[in-house]
Amino acid sequence: MRYPAFALAEHLDHGLGDPHDPGRAASFARCVALDAREEFPAQICAELDRLGLPRWYVPAEYGGELRSYEELLHAVRILARRDLTVAIGHGKTYLGAVSAWVGATPEQARRVGAEVLAGSVISLALTEREHGSDLLAGEVSAVPTGAGYRIDGEKWLINNASRGDLVCVLARTEPAGGTRGFSLLLVDKRRLAPGTFRCLPKERTHGVRGADISGIAFTGAEVPAEALLGKAGAGPEIVLKSVQLTRTMCAAMSLGLADQALRLVLDFATGHRLYDRALVDLPHAHRTLTEAYVDLLIGEATSVLTARGIHATPGELSVTSAVAKYLVPTMMDRTIPRLGQVLGARALLTADHADGLFQKIERDHRIVGIFDGNTLVNLNTLVNQFPGLVRGYRRGVVDPGLADTVELARPLPDFDRSRLALLSRSGCSVVQQLPAAVAEVRELVDAGIAPSALAAQAETLAGLVDGLHERMAAYRPQPRQVPAEAFGMAGEYALAFAAAACLQLWLRNRHWLADGPTAPLWADARWLRACLHRLIGQLRPATATGPGPDDGADYDRLLPDLRAQHREGRLFSLLPARLAEAGRPASEPAARPAGAATQPSEVLR
Amino acid sequence: MSVDAAVPGAAPARTAEPDLETYLGDPHDPANPVGYPAVLAADERGELLAEGERALDGYGLNAEFVPRALGGRFDRADRLAQVMRAVFRRDTTLGVGYGVTTFIAATPVWTSGTAQQRRWMADLLLRHGKASAGYNELAHGTDFGRARLRARPAGDHFVVTGRKEMVGNLGRADAVTLFARTDDRPGSRSHSHLLLDMAALPAEHLRRLRRHRTAGVRGVLLGGLEFTDCPVPADAAVGDLGAAMETVLRAFQVTRGVLPGMAVGIVDTQLRTVLRFALDRRLYGLPVAELPHARTTLVDGFLDLLISDCLATVVARALHLLPEQTSVYSAAVKYLVPKLLQEAAHRLSVVLGARSYLRDGPYGIFQKNLRDLLAATLTHASAAVCQATIIPQLPRLAQQGWRSSPPPPPALFRLTGPLPPLDFGALGLSARGVDSLTATLRGYLAEPGADPVVGRLCRLFTAELDRLAEICADLPPRDRTVIAGRRSFELTDRYATVLAAASCLGVWRHNQDDPFLRDTPWLLAALSRLAGRLGVDPGAAPDGLERHLFVELLTRHQDNRGFDLVNRHLAG
Amino acid sequence: MSGTIQDTSVDAIRSWLVGRIAFYLQRPAEEIDADAPLVEIGLDSVYAMTLSGDVEERFDIEVEPTMAWDHPTVNALAGYLHGVLGSRG
Repeated sequence: MRYPAFALAEHLDHGLGDPHDPGRAASFARCVALDAREEFPAQICAELDRLGLPRWYVPAEYGGELRSYEELLHAVRILARRDLTVAIGHGKTYLGAVSAWVGATPEQARRVGAEVLAGSVISLALTEREHGSDLLAGEVSAVPTGAGYRIDGEKWLINNASRGDLVCVLARTEPAGGTRGFSLLLVDKRRLAPGTFRCLPKERTHGVRGADISGIAFTGAEVPAEALLGKAGAGPEIVLKSVQLTRTMCAAMSLGLADQALRLVLDFATGHRLYDRALVDLPHAHRTLTEAYVDLLIGEATSVLTARGIHATPGELSVTSAVAKYLVPTMMDRTIPRLGQVLGARALLTADHADGLFQKIERDHRIVGIFDGNTLVNLNTLVNQFPGLVRGYRRGVVDPGLADTVELARPLPDFDRSRLALLSRSGCSVVQQLPAAVAEVRELVDAGIAPSALAAQAETLAGLVDGLHERMAAYRPQPRQVPAEAFGMAGEYALAFAAAACLQLWLRNRHWLADGPTAPLWADARWLRACLHRLIGQLRPATATGPGPDDGADYDRLLPDLRAQHREGRLFSLLPARLAEAGRPASEPAARPAGAATQPSEVLR
Repeated sequence: MSVDAAVPGAAPARTAEPDLETYLGDPHDPANPVGYPAVLAADERGELLAEGERALDGYGLNAEFVPRALGGRFDRADRLAQVMRAVFRRDTTLGVGYGVTTFIAATPVWTSGTAQQRRWMADLLLRHGKASAGYNELAHGTDFGRARLRARPAGDHFVVTGRKEMVGNLGRADAVTLFARTDDRPGSRSHSHLLLDMAALPAEHLRRLRRHRTAGVRGVLLGGLEFTDCPVPADAAVGDLGAAMETVLRAFQVTRGVLPGMAVGIVDTQLRTVLRFALDRRLYGLPVAELPHARTTLVDGFLDLLISDCLATVVARALHLLPEQTSVYSAAVKYLVPKLLQEAAHRLSVVLGARSYLRDGPYGIFQKNLRDLLAATLTHASAAVCQATIIPQLPRLAQQGWRSSPPPPPALFRLTGPLPPLDFGALGLSARGVDSLTATLRGYLAEPGADPVVGRLCRLFTAELDRLAEICADLPPRDRTVIAGRRSFELTDRYATVLAAASCLGVWRHNQDDPFLRDTPWLLAALSRLAGRLGVDPGAAPDGLERHLFVELLTRHQDNRGFDLVNRHLAG
Repeated sequence: MSGTIQDTSVDAIRSWLVGRIAFYLQRPAEEIDADAPLVEIGLDSVYAMTLSGDVEERFDIEVEPTMAWDHPTVNALAGYLHGVLGSRG
């Protein structure tokens, strides 16, 4: 059994080498040291260039290797697992270029593709000092000059604004602004007249301290007409569609960071003794570990379905990408500090325990919920779609692409940008399929194939999701003064999506994954039961039931799987993936001597 | 040991003594040597702010830790927390690295030291000396009973061998309260405290170990010492040989009972910072403070701060008034308050957005406080350690204490009322199943003329207590011990939440002369919030409740007053 | 279990203690060695304090929470308690 979407991730991880080997450029020790010195991980990014990563930023139709966003998701995840600054510092070029994939003419997109393949760094400049996520308040202007545009104003808190060769700038092209008053311009910094732009100093940040988070100020910067991406006035629309792709990738960053956090805590809990027992054998500690594991599995299910949806159900991405970008970082913002409680004061050490990595992960992770559309922006996106989501749920609308989305063994259709939509017309098929999925679980239970506890969970879930939609239906949209309760419901919707995603992932893949290294997780639906237990616990409305019986057996059952994946150097995952510290994967052609030019395309065939 | 006669009169005698908050000045003033710019710069350098240490020397902060009978200013645990808030509001690193470390080291001496030892420690502190609490050994951490540093009695002295690591100020302390093994047998009578005069120890038997650096409270000097056959005079023993564990169980009730009240100052700054941002910043055409979600988050933060202060203040006062019960309360407050404060800070960070991630600019203190708060939470007893202290006492509380304990004296809640001296010797090692604080809830329900709305909310908590009693009385054996399963830990969380509710109720009930506290809205909102924490539906909030509290928050901000129970004017 | 005092002979106290400790450790009473230090059979310091609570409930007396620290085996505890109960009259 093989899961080909991990091939790129494995290629990169093994290409960068064992992160515990201090001799490696991309070792944990070195990444922590770079962070402490606030130094950009240039050497590691160069290694990624050598490993061919930029090719996966460019869709195949524009000359690159990007055919599967599921594959890119795991690549981002594996890089973030090692070092978020690297994942951001390198991956930012994808963010800079994505507007071209979504909104540029094919010829323009091919030109941008060539830049990326040549190793150019491209940055995306949306935000301004005074306006933050309120993009339509932006003041940077681009005035037509006949030959092109003249740009004035300042973009701030921009990743790679200083290092970038090109910057994709959202600028006001109509003085009155509005949704058709902004355009995207791909500014080639190398070709700007001297003195017409200035890179702002790097901001000192809480985490990802080596990242080039700076800004750029234009003063009469002249760019040619071909700098315009797509049509004039199309800026907001292109941005809103582009972030549907990039936000999904942000969820992968959270998965990678939380994976390594859990790994560090397991390392410690296995060796450290307290009250004459290994820490991992203290029930309270091991529950914290299995809960974090369950959070990771929930995050993985959510992210993988969203990423596959980019190909199979792109019309619903406005919903699913907001769910993934909200839910996974928010969840891990809680999970990581909880894991830190097991480490105790060691969680704070900057050098002495496990290279001081934990405190870095904790600081780094906080940015994932903040950038590329923060928590509130994503929840707002969901609140705005409540009417459509309620309609879709009541009618039981299911996009025919759902089967390809949830069944991992199916090949994915090519990504078709013309199917992206600002609002989902079909609601959200993953959630809308839930009643059918629950009925299917019931049949499996009746047939003695699935454990009966699962049927009870599925029914409970269905009731909670029904109730949620009733409350969503009663909500009257209030464009600006969105009440806190609406955000609360949007958060619940994200949990409902995650639960529905888990359920369908299990239903559609349990046969296929019944062997291989993660088979025990799938065999008795044990991962699913734990995930549903956790999500139902968070979805349940306030009741006076108090602490029920300790039904944590669902979690406890996962401990052997968790420990096996830890021991064997596998990603904490429903699917088999070997990390670099486990040694090179025997069957992968990626196992080439370091330094040799790889042919990454072969890796995937 | 009794610290002092009762403090006469009403409020802490602020007029007679220097006021630390005023003394430390406007934290936003760039010229203030202990303002935020200087504090942030020192944090960047990983140093304890030298000007800050000098300023605190100048104020004589150590005197706050020295009992009044010994010439210091310590007479009330609640006041100590309030005074220290002035430091924590500005720089947690100084609060921990200058204040708390010394306080933790001195308390065992007040608890079990001889008159001579107490005098010596007091004199040392009063001349701005530093004391360090030598407990931690990396391999054992919070599991003190396994501590290995050995002090072997040899005639008229001890011979000390072993190491202590990651201990605040250990490398530069004038005095060290050393937790040492004096008996090889396992058990709780095998450790003793030695009070070390560092200047008098032979240097050749001591090796200073390297500093451990941390991501939070970066300036705190976490040092280590290795002792090799180091002679220590026999009279260094604090209390009887083998009595250290018992001393710890008493002394740490005081330190754990007071620290959370200090940390309230950190979140006062977090809330103030985010409120400032929300008023200054416009998003989608409106000030952020006008956006409903931001407003709810700010009000919730305010409530969390008030709730935290109610529990912290009541527990600190309980050290004086109900010392036989505080083994449970001090663990509960050290568990719950840092957790509430941390959750509040996290939610506030969502409103602050990208600004919460920048180390420079007008909101730079926020990210420092996030790191520092985490450190303050993990140090001196983590959540799990505190919960494990409560768990074994749950069955007995369930059998009687939650049903039939006598209600506490009203003085427990009267913030400006006098307190009897803190008698360290009276601190009980176990509450013996008595819990007066939660009896406040039933007591109120029995009062004629009780406010029906308050009463309805109180009943949610007495019902919770009944449920807890049912579950805790039948806990399986394993779940009554330190190796208990998750459920027992969750029970302590729910119980601590009920304690917080009882504290809020009592503070409201018994401060009817305070123009803010006597108002019912804050209490209703606080109890509703705590009910929500239990997963209990508090029912619909009265109309305008949030608006009312938001106005209070804004008014305090405009008047530059603290957001805590003290509600005092701040410097600047 | 509080209130009335039954048999306060050393044997009776010992067998009650053994039963209690076996309950905490979830082991058969026969496995509890009455001469082994409690810490070594798995009762740490906090645990030992819980035992003091049980004693107070059972015999309706007040004992130091640290009782089991100073009398760290079942036999030592039984002897101590017998003395206390005996002197109470």
